[in-house]
Amino acid sequence: MTLSLNSFLFVSGLLFAIGFFGVLLRRNVLVIFMSLEMMLNAAILALIAFSRFNGTMDGNLFVFFIITVAAAEIAVGLAIIVALFRKRQSVMVEQLSSLKN
Amino acid sequence: MNLEVFKQISDTNRWGLLLPEIYLVGLALILLVFEMLFRRQDLLLIVRVAIWGQVLLLGLMVLQYLEGFPTGSVTAFSGLLTQTPATEVMRLFFVAGSILVSFLATTYLRRQNLPRTEFFAITMLITVAMMVLVQSSQFVLFFVALETVTIGFYVLVAYCRQSPFSLEAGLKFLILGALSSAILLFGIVFLYGVAGNPALPGHVADSMNFADLASFIAANPTNPLVLIGTCLVLAGVAFKVGAVPFQIWIPDVYQGAPTPVTAFLAVSSKAAGVFVLLTLVRGPFASLHSFLVPLLSTVAVLTILFGNLTALPQRNVKRLMGLSGIAHAGYLLVGVVASMTVDWAVYAVVFYLITYLLASFGVFGVMIQMAGDDDSDQEVDHYEDLGQRHPFLAGVLTVGLGSLAGIPPLGGFIGKLLIFIAAFQAGLYGLLAASIIGVVISIYYYFGWIREAVFRVWRSPEGSPAQEGASTFTVSTVEIVTLGGLSALTIGIGIFPSLVDCLMRL
Repeated sequence: MTLSLNSFLFVSGLLFAIGFFGVLLRRNVLVIFMSLEMMLNAAILALIAFSRFNGTMDGNLFVFFIITVAAAEIAVGLAIIVALFRKRQSVMVEQLSSLKN
Repeated sequence: MNLEVFKQISDTNRWGLLLPEIYLVGLALILLVFEMLFRRQDLLLIVRVAIWGQVLLLGLMVLQYLEGFPTGSVTAFSGLLTQTPATEVMRLFFVAGSILVSFLATTYLRRQNLPRTEFFAITMLITVAMMVLVQSSQFVLFFVALETVTIGFYVLVAYCRQSPFSLEAGLKFLILGALSSAILLFGIVFLYGVAGNPALPGHVADSMNFADLASFIAANPTNPLVLIGTCLVLAGVAFKVGAVPFQIWIPDVYQGAPTPVTAFLAVSSKAAGVFVLLTLVRGPFASLHSFLVPLLSTVAVLTILFGNLTALPQRNVKRLMGLSGIAHAGYLLVGVVASMTVDWAVYAVVFYLITYLLASFGVFGVMIQMAGDDDSDQEVDHYEDLGQRHPFLAGVLTVGLGSLAGIPPLGGFIGKLLIFIAAFQAGLYGLLAASIIGVVISIYYYFGWIREAVFRVWRSPEGSPAQEGASTFTVSTVEIVTLGGLSALTIGIGIFPSLVDCLMRL
């Protein structure tokens, strides 16, 4: 049995939706961060599937760039979260609201 | 493997086209080496090398363009880069922005006692990424350059590690920025997938390339995946610009970020976003004209009205600059929509960006002087009687705000006028009406600020909290020359708009 392009795209879309709603609905900054990574991974999966079914290699190549970018983003992001945790002793978004009118 | 193909590809790698970028990266690395070698001995050396190194670059670039400004477009690196006269102007723009940010940062970082070298290095690397971003004509390079800009800004926004405000702004920018990047990426993936699909008519082999993608979209303008992908890509870019459904991060991040970074975000980052939008709607998405014009027009009207109306009651100057910056993004979007039918609207947008750079950096320079040693004086009330306390700063502030509001003898007026003429020629009367309403509203809050600074406001004798904490100024000569130069240029461009025009006509 071979899987069709649509099944890959379905899984990818599902991952993207889970990640998107995770970012919007979850309250813990670390979980939000994981959801963001899930969205990137959804894009990677779709990219690989398209690359395989279109017979072009650009998609495979692009994946390496995305992984590199995601790693840089995590490095900076976790540094900010740790620094903020040291100041506030919390990673919940409700308690991070000192910037207001 | 066929070696001829590799040879053809490597022949298009014309590194000479990227000399300014290579120079800036080298300068950033040299600064980091100096930091290691001369740690704690001579901080002034690093500041001088950083700023004069960039001024030298700007001078060399201008000299090169005086000899002969490039006409027509050059494509290099097997279609990764496309240089046009407009991108050349944008490169100059970003180097100038980088110099001004570094300059503002010397004052700010000295007062806050923050490390300087890293700040300069990151500023330069972001500038390089923005310069590459405006020239990119392929989605892989586009995405990597855009992410370099965004990740650099995460670091800069959270640069004051001791300040919870800065860290919180950094976290908000991080989450929303990463969200927008993921959306943009998903859009790119859709476009890549659908344009390379062998079952569709006009499918292309190199579907990441803007030119190939344009030919595919021209053949399939109603394909739903193309439309979804286009919307996702535009949404990701609209986030960087701060257009309406994606503007929520702007006030908080602008307020929390260190002031030079706020200026950098407001001017260079927005300019990069707007220019990328121009490249996209005039390049790959040009055939979706009938779909994009109503969509972008709606976004532009909402952006202008939202920015101006929320800025009205605002008393914090950094938030005020952020929210009014949303309105400016709206005017620029009007120019972007107009550029789909009127070709010279590109230059109207670039001209507007230049006037915005000059005026904004003047205002941000005054804001840094006014904010005091602990960076706490950020309310409009703190500017009371600035005209008496320091007439020069009040003058710079007035010229800057007047230009942002679009008052006739100043540069901002010409910028707005050009965009409005372009919109009129493109037949976008609704957008024109919304922009003019927006300008009228904006005069109220800009002049409220000017009035606070320049004209004596009657206050009840017992209560004037700003006076007690009024900071004293020590404005150095270099700062006076720079801020004065910015104001002079703003006035000069307003009176002789051909100053910039001749740069673009060449």
